[in-house]
Formats: sequence, C-alpha cells, structure tokens
Amino acid sequence: MNTWSVNFSDPVPYQQGLDIQHRLLKARQENRIPDTVLALQHQPVVTLGNRGRDNYLLKTEAEYAAMGIELFHAERGGDVTFHGPGQWVLYPILYLGGNEADSHGYLHNLEEIAIRTLGEYGVEGFRREGKSGAWTTSGKVAAIGFRLKKWVSFHGMSFNVCNDLTGFDTIVPCGLAGEPVASLKTILKEDCPEMEQVRDSLLNHFSMVCGRKLERFDAEGKLPDELAELIRNP
Amino acid sequence: MSVPQDLFYSKTHEWVSLVDGIATVGITDFAQNQLSDLTFVELPEVGAEFAAADEAAVVESVKAAADVYAPVAGEVVEVNSELEDSPELINKDAFGAGWLFKIKVANESDVDNMLDADSYEELCPSE
Repeated sequence: MNTWSVNFSDPVPYQQGLDIQHRLLKARQENRIPDTVLALQHQPVVTLGNRGRDNYLLKTEAEYAAMGIELFHAERGGDVTFHGPGQWVLYPILYLGGNEADSHGYLHNLEEIAIRTLGEYGVEGFRREGKSGAWTTSGKVAAIGFRLKKWVSFHGMSFNVCNDLTGFDTIVPCGLAGEPVASLKTILKEDCPEMEQVRDSLLNHFSMVCGRKLERFDAEGKLPDELAELIRNP
Repeated sequence: MSVPQDLFYSKTHEWVSLVDGIATVGITDFAQNQLSDLTFVELPEVGAEFAAADEAAVVESVKAAADVYAPVAGEVVEVNSELEDSPELINKDAFGAGWLFKIKVANESDVDNMLDADSYEELCPSE
C-alpha cells in the first residue's frame, strides 16, 4: 500500500498540528489508514521535549507571548526547539514495528533524509557523534525528536529553509549551548530554493530512504474520505 | 539480529522469560537498535498492577521516546533500578542485564498468546 503525504500550504498552529497527529496516530495503530507523512510549517512556537528543561528557555512566558511565540511541552523525545514559518516540519506517522522497518533505525533515516536534501542543493551535511540532527559547517539545519506509541511514530523532524532564526536565540537549541543554527538561506543566500521545491525534495528523499511510495495530497484539496475526516475534524 | 529461542515475544517488541510464575520483561534487540543510544528509562512502581498491553514504562534515547507495554497481566514485583543510572545496559544487553521489570503473572497461560522466537523473527526486518 502507498504511503500518503499531506502538504499544508499555510502555517499551522502547533496545537492543531498536535491534534491532527494524535488522530492519525490512533487511526494508524488501528490500521484504518496507511503510513502517512505530514509536511507543514508552524506558526512561531517554542516546544520542549519529554525531558526538556526549562533552563534552556532564555525568556519568560510573558516575554515569549509578547514576541508572538507560543510555548508548549510536547511529548516527543529530544530537547527544546523552535518552529516558525520558513521551516519545514515532517511528521511521519509510520508503523515501524513490522518487517518493513529499516534495521538501521528510524533516527538514522531521518538524518539521512536531511543530509540528502542538503546535498541536492550543493550543501554538505553530516552527522555529529552524540548530537543528532543534520549539521553543516555553518551550523545545525535539521532537528529531530519523535515518539513511538505501539511502534507507530509521531513528531519527527524540522528543516530550516528561510525561517527567521532569531527565535532560536530565545532558547538553548536541543540543550546545546554555543552551537549555531543555520538555514539553507543563510548558507546559499540568494540561491536559496523556493519552499515548495525544498518540501518536494524532503518528501522525495523520505520516499527513497524509508522505502515508501508516496501518494501526495494537499490538505486543502481533495482527500480520501477517511483522511479528510482526520485532517479537518474540528 | 539476536533472538534467543527460550523467550516469548510480543508484536510491540517486548520479550518475556517466565520462571515460577514470575515474568521478566525487557525490550528486544531489534527495539533497542531502532531507538539507538538510550539515555533515560521511566520504570513502573513496584506493586503496580497491569492488564496485558497496558503502558508500563517509557524508554528514551537522545531524540526518541517509546512506550513499553506489559506483555502479560499481573503485579510488578521488582524493577531494574540499575537502569536509572545506566540505561545503556539495554543497548549492550537487551536480553540480559537490560531487563526492565518483573511481573507476578495473574494467569500463566497469557504467554500462550505471545510469539515464539521464529514467529517473532519473521516480524522483524531481515538484514
């Protein structure tokens, strides 16, 4: 069966993205839908992982609110991170417990997707021992944090394209002090590709690396009935 | 991938060894490999009672968190406290020193619903 991918063109509030993920997670656990991957941008938000520590937040709750940044404790692995428009977020809702799983491990696969996407635009990406994500000589471009429930994944990866990186100055990203954050835009300047182009690259590499054939949908367009209900359910 | 023959397995990648009504529970080598280096383990309380398939523990690597389910019903009689300081024991020895908790099983025939090593191995990806 094909894997569904759903593209959202407008930035999605974090809570709405979370609600959609929870509905998809349950539907996937019950085998009502195939593996599904969401590609979206969030409205500005700082999220803490399961073990996320408040001392990695450099502003007060009121200061974040004044900057128009929401604050969330997420139930994913990983530490604190920042999402905002201009950054792609991939939320793969995949059953990883069966024989289609990759023995290299899901974390490795997510890193590989980011590294291959960087490579497509002539940027050398690499892993760093003990520090997950995808790195370049200019800094970290992709951050990873996910959770498995009944071996179905949710949460996932964010990839900086042309987002305002000042949001990262309000946190200690992933709890790593003094490590710079970069985006395709800060590396490639005026040669930075369009958002839609980068999203398609990420999904193409996702398809290759995770060995899943994609059937692509737009969240605002025509969707299979069961998917429409899960995505649009108020 | 190592899959010892003398254990019972769940589809959610837990293993069970049943001796004198006490089930020792851990996660499989496949599971620890998918999660990579584990950094934190949330263990159940001794005395906690679980139905089969209840969420019993959480294992976390640097970037992943995964729920662990009780493969059989019963009461937790012991937890592997060593994991609190050394969660990496699960990566090093998933079927041995990396065990998570022990359950006094309510009904020994619960393990009849579990997979044997060969069936479990079929569920996992081949290298």
